[in-house]
Amino acid sequence: MVFTSFNFLIFFPIVIVLYYLIPSRIRWCFLLLTSIFFYANVLPLYVILLLFVSLITYLFGIIIEREKSDSKKEKFLIIGIILVFLPLFIFKYYDFLNEMIFNFMDYFSIRFPLPKLNLLLPVGISFYTFMAIGYLFDIYNEEIKAEKNIGLITLFLSFFPLVLSGPIERAPSMLPQFKSELTFNYEKAVQGFKFIIWGYFMKLVVADRIGIYTDVVLSNMEYHSGKTLLFTVLIYPLQLYADLGGYSLIAIGVAGVLGIKVRRNFNRPFFATTLSEFWRRWHMSLISWILDYVYTPLSFAFRRYKMKGVLLTVILTLFIMGMWHGATLTYLMWALFQGVVLSFEAITKNKKFAFEKKYNLSKKWWYIAFGISITYILFAFSFLTGGNRHTFSEGIMAFEKIINFSGSIFIDSPSNLIFIILGAFILLLKDFKEEFFSSRLLFFNNKLKIIRILSYSFIIILILLIGVFDAGQFIYFKF
Amino acid sequence: MEKSQIKDELDNIFKKIFNNETLEISENMSANDVDNWDSLSHMLLITEIEDHFSIKFKLRELNKMKNVGVLIDILSSKLN
Amino acid sequence: MQDNSFILNFNIIKKIVLNISLVFIVVGIFDFLIGNTLRFFYFKESSGLHYRTTYAIDSTQADVLIFGASTANHHYVPQVFENSLNMTYYNTGRDGQGILYQLAVLKSILKRYKPSVIILDHTARFNNSEKDFERLSALLPYYKDHKEIRAIIEKKSSFEQIKLLSNIYPYNSNMLTIALGNLEFNKKRKPDIKGYVELNGIWEGALDSINNKGDINNDIIKIRALEEFIELSKNSGANLFIIKSPVFKISPNNIDSLLTTISLKHKIPFYNFKQDSIFLNNPFLFKDLVHLNKEGATVISNIICDSIKQHL
Repeated sequence: MVFTSFNFLIFFPIVIVLYYLIPSRIRWCFLLLTSIFFYANVLPLYVILLLFVSLITYLFGIIIEREKSDSKKEKFLIIGIILVFLPLFIFKYYDFLNEMIFNFMDYFSIRFPLPKLNLLLPVGISFYTFMAIGYLFDIYNEEIKAEKNIGLITLFLSFFPLVLSGPIERAPSMLPQFKSELTFNYEKAVQGFKFIIWGYFMKLVVADRIGIYTDVVLSNMEYHSGKTLLFTVLIYPLQLYADLGGYSLIAIGVAGVLGIKVRRNFNRPFFATTLSEFWRRWHMSLISWILDYVYTPLSFAFRRYKMKGVLLTVILTLFIMGMWHGATLTYLMWALFQGVVLSFEAITKNKKFAFEKKYNLSKKWWYIAFGISITYILFAFSFLTGGNRHTFSEGIMAFEKIINFSGSIFIDSPSNLIFIILGAFILLLKDFKEEFFSSRLLFFNNKLKIIRILSYSFIIILILLIGVFDAGQFIYFKF
Repeated sequence: MEKSQIKDELDNIFKKIFNNETLEISENMSANDVDNWDSLSHMLLITEIEDHFSIKFKLRELNKMKNVGVLIDILSSKLN
Repeated sequence: MQDNSFILNFNIIKKIVLNISLVFIVVGIFDFLIGNTLRFFYFKESSGLHYRTTYAIDSTQADVLIFGASTANHHYVPQVFENSLNMTYYNTGRDGQGILYQLAVLKSILKRYKPSVIILDHTARFNNSEKDFERLSALLPYYKDHKEIRAIIEKKSSFEQIKLLSNIYPYNSNMLTIALGNLEFNKKRKPDIKGYVELNGIWEGALDSINNKGDINNDIIKIRALEEFIELSKNSGANLFIIKSPVFKISPNNIDSLLTTISLKHKIPFYNFKQDSIFLNNPFLFKDLVHLNKEGATVISNIICDSIKQHL
């Protein structure tokens, strides 16, 4: 059951009421059962995988902690990680590898076809796999003690607000919360509801609305004009932000209503003035996970090679990220593009800093606006090099069309376009206000109750009026 | 080796790595307090310290180094 | 230690319940006011997509009725039918809609009168697609006054009745279209002739090819809806014809086995133009890969009229 389904709107209030009716000491048990039910509701059989990963995580946590010698600890850490990673590997890469091996053997006229599994990737598997790996690492690093209660481990990995698409949480911040008394907290709950409403706005009004347009264009890129492609490239980042950002905001809000604090996942990414700053504001839980459990261990292992080691680490990290997104060349191109820009920023950092100091630029509004625009454009155009929507050569072709600025812009339904602009405007305006004037012009936190109530109601009415609930809203592209 | 002696030697290493003669380290100092102390210079610093004291850190110890004070503690336990 | 949280502080419960109810009340009031305003103007529209559906459901008295999706809407030229058959004409085709929508519109029409010719342009496949059900949202404004189509609308999702508690919901995303439909200039912007919308322009791309393996995962609900559509038309005494429009794509399997079987079973004339050489050899009759332009529409309308005349 996804948050945007109507089922969830019925499911969640029931959960809240039951959760706060039972004694607080056993609330974590209720959360565990609810989480398993929630996950089973998506695909019943895949609960077994989740339980398998939980069991491995639990056992290896204890084994790693108990082992005295460092080399053995390390060995068990690696075995644990491999076992935890196994389901994800099978589901994500089995068919890909199978085909490669088959083609290879076929070349020598050996035909021994293994069945193609065509497995449906279990939802959320990357998220709980990442969390499990993080937990094992944290025990190896002695950041936390191994958890002796397998129920809590299972809850940590299956916690229903986070299980489908994050944020990717860490054991040191989650396990103590589940262990402590889960009591009702008015402020937390209200904050949670705010996040939920705004999350729905981002997802239904902004992301899914832009998606109607970009889906039509990106699935038939060769038929679209340069102006249409330019517009698509420029709004696509907003869709991604509103989609994942909105969804994780709902997740954070749902957890908050249940009294559990979850790390934020996006911090107004489009107000970053450099690409490296952008990556500290975008999908933060994933980026920090990668920094801590991939980048740091790798750069530590390669530290003897100085600059070459760093470069190798960056390439390997981006490669792993690319493989995670999708085992395709286009993602690797995308990662490479990001890598080049980020390296450039790192190398020129000192000079840029001195330049800004000399001309006293860092507080000038037009300089900030310039940085924000360049960063946005770089991020937006990086999708032309790759992504899951098109091939590299299609991206190049699209880029040529954009440079030629050819044709006229595709508008099937003017109202769809107006709703895109309206939704994006409200979203960016709110982020703008929070970035630069966080204490002024309060709506959700206004002192006057009537303004608070009206603000909530306005957003809900707006969702009812122009939210995208299902495929009932569509535009029809007649090439 | 005494902690104060470790600190003095570290001071020189920091000056060298961050190319800053006026840099004075303190127990509470962390990456946030020093310009250019990013993940790249951090690794350079670690290798420099390893070479200087002829020791090898473990990944676990690296993760524990939240500030200079912890670094000195780890070094003194390794050197004694 | 005493477990305080077990007995929640009564004041906090009161506070949160009060606040949530307040939001609900305010939302309810706005929903009622805005929803009913939208409804009023929706049914006052005098042109456009909404208007054509309303006209088909509530007003048309035409002898010849065209049903189907975009191909129905753009391929049947009214003048050709009127002159050739000497009958009145209306086109109920609507972009992107499937057999469920067409069945609903037919049900509403048959409650009012009996047309003499019904042409169903069936281009869609029968495969299982949630989208086809979700697009039934086009019928939501008629839920209130048309009992005969409620069962069809409720197939959209399990919770339509609850969602319809909101007055805005049936008009979701439609406010600008409703406003436009009330303006005069919309008639020039998107003109239609008796429901028919002509397409202009010539397809300049290459011939495409399809390699679909026929209908897989046939959705039983859609097949039943088609059979119900056939039976209702036959029982009303109308002459029913099923047509598959041409595409500018080469397909290895031209035979639509399911549609052929069903039309044979019910003894309904079925004309399959999907791979007709008249169209495959003449790209200038197409607007795009799956739609004819006005010239193409005139050609196919004449062929169809000549064919069905024999049955009348």
